[in-house]
Amino acid sequence: MAPSYPLIGRAADAVLFRHSGGVVTAAGFLAAAEDLAARLPPGAPVIDLCRDRAAFAVAFAAALLVDSVSLLAGERSPERLRSLAEAHPGAVTLSEDATPPGPMPHRRVCPDWSGTPVGPMRWLQAERLAAIVFTSGSTGEPVAHRKRWGALAVRSMAAAAQFGLDPWRPAEVLATVPPQHMYGFETSVLLPLHAPAASWSGAAFYPDDVRMALAALPAPVLLVTTPLQLRALLDAPVTAGGDGPAGVISATAPLDPALAARAEEHWGCWVQEIFGATEVGSIASRRTTAEQAWTLYPGLELAEEEQGATVAGPFAPPTPLADRVALLPRRRFHLLGRSSDLVKLGGRRASLSGLTRILAAIPGVEDGVFLAPDDLEARPSARLMVLAVAPRRSAEEILAELRPRVDPVFLPRRVQLVAALPRNELGKLPRAALLALATGARDG
Amino acid sequence: MESPADLRTATGFEMELAGLIVEALQLEVAPAAILPTAPLFGDGLGLDSIDALELALAISRRYGVALKSDDERNGRIFASLRALAAHVDGERRR
Repeated sequence: MAPSYPLIGRAADAVLFRHSGGVVTAAGFLAAAEDLAARLPPGAPVIDLCRDRAAFAVAFAAALLVDSVSLLAGERSPERLRSLAEAHPGAVTLSEDATPPGPMPHRRVCPDWSGTPVGPMRWLQAERLAAIVFTSGSTGEPVAHRKRWGALAVRSMAAAAQFGLDPWRPAEVLATVPPQHMYGFETSVLLPLHAPAASWSGAAFYPDDVRMALAALPAPVLLVTTPLQLRALLDAPVTAGGDGPAGVISATAPLDPALAARAEEHWGCWVQEIFGATEVGSIASRRTTAEQAWTLYPGLELAEEEQGATVAGPFAPPTPLADRVALLPRRRFHLLGRSSDLVKLGGRRASLSGLTRILAAIPGVEDGVFLAPDDLEARPSARLMVLAVAPRRSAEEILAELRPRVDPVFLPRRVQLVAALPRNELGKLPRAALLALATGARDG
Repeated sequence: MESPADLRTATGFEMELAGLIVEALQLEVAPAAILPTAPLFGDGLGLDSIDALELALAISRRYGVALKSDDERNGRIFASLRALAAHVDGERRR
């Protein structure tokens, strides 16, 4: 028989989500999912735009109940929704809003958490497609990554083992990343379905949101965040009381060991950093203050191939990583760095050559290049810049042309018009020459 | 707070806040170039979510006003320099 996993692997009275008004139990969650499922067109792809984590999760679960796939769209602009609907005919949008955000059929999600499930717990085939997540592709068009139910369920259990979650004292997950992002999806939506964890479904983005949630939540809190938000939380003047988290998990950008040490000292907790990518999910972790090597999650296999490393796991075929690795004994490895063409900001990734192609296609741009400063990931206000040869166009016009085509975090903070790019005899652009030109333009 | 009839003329506090925005986000525009009624995100200054976090931090340090996520309110607060200034000014006087 083909393997299958339950929609929820928790006791009926287990708390899956917490919000300011109370708790969502496994039974209440299943009842709300059944309820929403009855309002969905069977098999129609679901664009899950819910901001509230519990609502997002119930929309995801309802889609599973009617054999639909959830599309995790990080961006909700009308253009993005239209292109999603074109790629996935029959798609419906789900959100807390009554007004449809796009041209496709829409269902409002406002769950009643106090219901009793009508049917038994549903078991879903491990191989079935559960979700599609997106990365910004090199041409600017998002690339789809398909996630099977078995891969998602097994990885949640692996994460529970990796972080030592205690069935007798469930963790309170306080996530500051959106559920539509793979990292937020895994840690704050999938984890409570299969591991001893409850997820805070209220707002948690600004330091004050996090402090208020910390004050409201019982111990032990697991803060799931990013280096930028962690730094903001430690730097912001304290305006609310409450205990600190028992553990901090950071991902989306490299975590500065000094920042990790500050957090550990400030709260008397541990700080773990996750390594992963949208294509493969979370695959390894390390305690940043104590070790450089990463430890793979249980059940995963990392292999060094000629073209680079691949990672494979249950119900997840071998998938290439964008980073180069050096394998160590005992399921550990070192990261050797990323291909220099890839840049990462705000948890999103882009290819500099892909962005440069978009720039080159703008009418009036004769030559041009996207350039990343060396400290792009370390300095919060660091952004990309553009050098362009465009005698008949202004910097403002070029920026306006880029705006609808490029994710906001990758828009250049500066567009510098130059007479020519410093191409060498091979036609290539040496980075040092570009940086010199950019600095010279700024000083002059 | 006074609200000038001319949409392009910033009040003293709006100017001050424009200076803080430019400084905190290391923008390459002059504070005076930020129109009080133009959007800060999207088509205006083109700020993003990382900028929102940085700006919130700078505002809480300078004025002791902590911004919070409140979807309905946040859209309004970050709508423009003028809206942000009105919110920060109102909160710091409380």
